[in-house]
Amino acid sequence: MRVLEPFQLPFVQRALVELLLLALLAGTLGCWIVLRGLAFPAHGAAAAAFPGLVLADGLGFAAALGGFGAALLFALAVGGGAGAGRSAREGEDVRTALVLVAALAAGVVLASDVFHSAASVETLLFGSLLAIDPGDVRLAGAAALAAMLASALLGTRWLAVGFDARAARTLGVRSRLPDVLLLALVAFGAVATLSAVGALLATALLVVPAATTRLLSDRIPRWQLATTALAAAEGVLGVWLAVQLNAPPGATIAVVSGVAFALVALTRRTA
Amino acid sequence: MSALIATDELAVAYPGAAPALTGVTFDLRAGERIAVLGPNGGGKTTLFRALLGELRPAAGALALDGRCASVPQTERSRLDFPVSALDVALMGTIPNRAWWRRPRRADRAAAQAALARVGLAERAGDTYGELSGGQRQRVLIARALVQEARTLLLDEPFTGLDATSAARLERLLHELAGDGRGILIATHDLEQARRWDRVLCLNRRQIAFGVPAQTLDADVLAATYGGEIVTLPGEDASAPHHVILPPHHHDHAH
Repeated sequence: MRVLEPFQLPFVQRALVELLLLALLAGTLGCWIVLRGLAFPAHGAAAAAFPGLVLADGLGFAAALGGFGAALLFALAVGGGAGAGRSAREGEDVRTALVLVAALAAGVVLASDVFHSAASVETLLFGSLLAIDPGDVRLAGAAALAAMLASALLGTRWLAVGFDARAARTLGVRSRLPDVLLLALVAFGAVATLSAVGALLATALLVVPAATTRLLSDRIPRWQLATTALAAAEGVLGVWLAVQLNAPPGATIAVVSGVAFALVALTRRTA
Repeated sequence: MSALIATDELAVAYPGAAPALTGVTFDLRAGERIAVLGPNGGGKTTLFRALLGELRPAAGALALDGRCASVPQTERSRLDFPVSALDVALMGTIPNRAWWRRPRRADRAAAQAALARVGLAERAGDTYGELSGGQRQRVLIARALVQEARTLLLDEPFTGLDATSAARLERLLHELAGDGRGILIATHDLEQARRWDRVLCLNRRQIAFGVPAQTLDADVLAATYGGEIVTLPGEDASAPHHVILPPHHHDHAH
C-alpha cells in the first residue's frame, strides 16, 4: 500500500523504534510527572539541557552527558518543592521560569558566540527524529527501562507523598531520596527525548499524552497503559504526516499531541 | 493495665524554636478514648507529631507501647488522585515494607481486611475522591489499622460530617477501642468530648486532664479557649451550654 510506503524507509523505521521506546517512557514517567505537578520542571529540565549539549559539543565530550548534567542540576534546584504547599509551589514556578530563560539564553550565546555552532541550535531545540543514530535509540531504551523499574519500585512512595505529603511522613516516607530519584528520572527522560523532539518540545512526549489520558483514566496502571498506547499512536501518526507533508517530525508530533488533547478535553466537556 | 502512651512533664519544640507545648502529663490505656481539646495553635498537632516521632521531646519524658498511627483530616489529601479506597489503605503497608519491595498479596489482604473492619469492604474498588466525607475518613482509619498500630491519633475526624456519618464514625471508634486500641481524638466539639473516657485540655501547656464530667468546668474551658468560647444559657440553668467560636483560620503548623 502506497500509504504505508514511508514506513519502509530505514531512517523512518529507526525513528519509529525510537518513538516506541519513548512511548514507554512517556507512559510510565509521564503519568508521574502529571500526577506530581512536575510538568513545568520537566519542560525546564529539557530546556536546561540545551546549554549542556552546546557545551558538550564545543568541548568535545558526550552530548548526553552534558545534557543530563545540566538537566539534573536544574531539576534538583527547582523541582524540590513537588508536593509542597501552594506558596512553595508558586516560588518554585518563578524559579523554574527564571532558570529556563537563563538556560535558553546561555545556550544561544554559547552556540553563536563561543563555539560558533549556531547551525545545530535548531536541531537541539526542535530535534531531528529522522536523523537519529543507534546511540539515541539506546539512550531512549535505557530511559524507558529506568522509568519502568523506578515506577515499579518507588511508585507507592511517589503516590503516598503526592496524595498527602505530611501523612506520608507519618507512614515512614521521610527520606527525600525517592523524590530526588523522580527528579533525576525527569532529567534523564528529558534528555532522552531531545534527539526526537528537541529541548523545546520534550513535553509533547513527556507531558501531553499523559495529560490527555488523565482525562479518561481513574487508576494509575490503566492510565500508564493508555498513555503508552496514545504516545505511540501519536508518534507513528506524526512521523507519517511529517514524511507526507515534508514537515519537521518533532513539531508535527507536538501538533498531533496537542490536537488529541484538545479533542479529548472537548469531548469530556460536552459529555 | 499498662499505658500505651505515658508522658511526664513533656515539652515539645520545633527545631530551633522555643517549646510550642509544655508540661504535658497524661496516659492513654488500651481501650480508652481521650479527647484532646484546645484552640488552633494550642498544641494538639504538636503533641501528635511528638507521638509520631516527627518532633523530639525538648524536656520531660515520653513512653510509647507500640506504634501510633495518624488519621489526618480528609481535606488534606488529594481528592483528584486516581486512587481507589484499596490503594489508600494499601499505603498503610509502607512502614512494614523495605523501600524496594512492592505490595504483596498479604499486604493487599491486610488492606482489604482493614476496609472490611471499617465497613467499606464493598467500596474497596471505588475512587477515593468520589466517596463521601465519612467514608473517606473511614478509609484513612483503615490505612491506620493496616499499620498494626495500637494507638490511633485522629485529627478532628468529625469536621464536615453529617449527623449520620458522625454517629457511624463514633460507633466505629467505640468498637476499635473495644478491640483494645487506644484512641486520641483532637476535636473542637465539647459535647462530643464529654462522651469520651477522658479529656486532655491544651493551650500551649497542659490545662487539665481527667474524666470529662470532673474536668470540663468553666475555669478549665476559659483557660483552654480564652476568648474563643462563649456560654449560652441552656434549658437547665444549672448547666450552661458552652460553644467554641469557629476559628478564623486553620493553622496546622503548630
